[in-house]
Amino acid sequence: MVIRTVAAFAAVVCFGLLLELPKRYLLSAGLVGGAAWMVYLIVEQASSNIMAAFVSTLAVALISHVFARVWKAPATIFLVAGILPAVPGASIYRSVYYIIQDNGTLANHYLMETLQIAGAIALAVFVMDSAFRLFQGHGKVEQSCRSHGNTGRPDWIDGLPEEHQRD
Amino acid sequence: MKNEMISDGNETNRKLLVETAVSAGEIMLVSGAEIFRVEDTVKRILQLSGSSGTQTVALGTSLFVRLDSSDGKTVTVFRRIENHSSNLNRICRVNEISRCLCQGEISLAEAYKKLDEIRRDIQYSPKIKAIGYVGVSAFFAVLLGGTWLEGLGAGIAGALLACVCILAAKVRMNDFFINAMGAFTVGAAALLMQSWAARGMNLDMVITGAIMPLVPGVTFTTAIRDILNGDYASGTSRMMEAVVIALAVAVGIGGAMALVGWLLGGGPRW
Repeated sequence: MVIRTVAAFAAVVCFGLLLELPKRYLLSAGLVGGAAWMVYLIVEQASSNIMAAFVSTLAVALISHVFARVWKAPATIFLVAGILPAVPGASIYRSVYYIIQDNGTLANHYLMETLQIAGAIALAVFVMDSAFRLFQGHGKVEQSCRSHGNTGRPDWIDGLPEEHQRD
Repeated sequence: MKNEMISDGNETNRKLLVETAVSAGEIMLVSGAEIFRVEDTVKRILQLSGSSGTQTVALGTSLFVRLDSSDGKTVTVFRRIENHSSNLNRICRVNEISRCLCQGEISLAEAYKKLDEIRRDIQYSPKIKAIGYVGVSAFFAVLLGGTWLEGLGAGIAGALLACVCILAAKVRMNDFFINAMGAFTVGAAALLMQSWAARGMNLDMVITGAIMPLVPGVTFTTAIRDILNGDYASGTSRMMEAVVIALAVAVGIGGAMALVGWLLGGGPRW
């Protein structure tokens, strides 16, 4: 399992090169990916791969939101890196491959697997996003123009009516 | 104050504001950002005008923006979004620029210029990308439970894949054929390696590892996330994008299995 976790770290860093992941976040993104795969492998032994995808993505989404706030970068960077190992790329390919081969049973199997895993991952991200939005109050997503001691708006907007002012 | 006034009366500035917002949105859409993130960024930039009459619609393949003003004049801009390719650096930089602009740290004209620079900004050279391909292929085979031998095999197939993809991109071949040819190369290489060098190698593991740079796992997952967020049109269009990519890869692998399997004797394997 250690080997597979290290491989996940390396794989995510290499994938980062293909996805043009910003240089300064390359290593941290790799760490998120490695950690995600470790959680995945642990949960997978205890239950199913769908559950594993869900739980590991919850962890990834949590870390991504924390990193996004610390470094003021969009959460997507760490999120994409973290879900890379678990994402059902191979399953999509296989379901289409077996459709071409006219093997309905296997095509169905992999199609279901794709939908289940992608659904579990998307749901986990959605749950964590919603939770963070709840705690932050409405309309203050992490990429918002957050206020730093002032109103958070450039002062040249000050002349405008109240309802136009944000936050 | 560094920023110029974007009042209702100043039409040039209003146009520039809309253009800036649309550029930001376009770059994010092309780079594969989620729809709600794109719309949120565009809205925040438009809100700098102080006008309450703004509309933003981002679809997977197009972006529409409208800005009303109190004197009844409307600026509407729409763009066709083409050539999707994931690029996290661009998403990150657009995010930075939009935040600086909203906080009044840079002017509108500066923001527009910087957005233009982002379009040409590529961080990693083809050589480094090639290393990326090899690494992804090799390490994914190991990560999915393959042995080191299979990792090595996938790495070699990945190196060939990198050559094909980078060369094909140079001659501006369309995406479907790049993916299909890349997958064909991977399939052929894996089959040949197995029959000539390493009989014990798990063919499926090598192929799965080596096609990882191509398969649209993240795209498919983002599609479902868009759908959960209520962006049904964009979600389904992104899902079809993923299916088409998967089709290209499957055609490539299937072709390799048939052709190389036949050349090696024993008839086509499908």
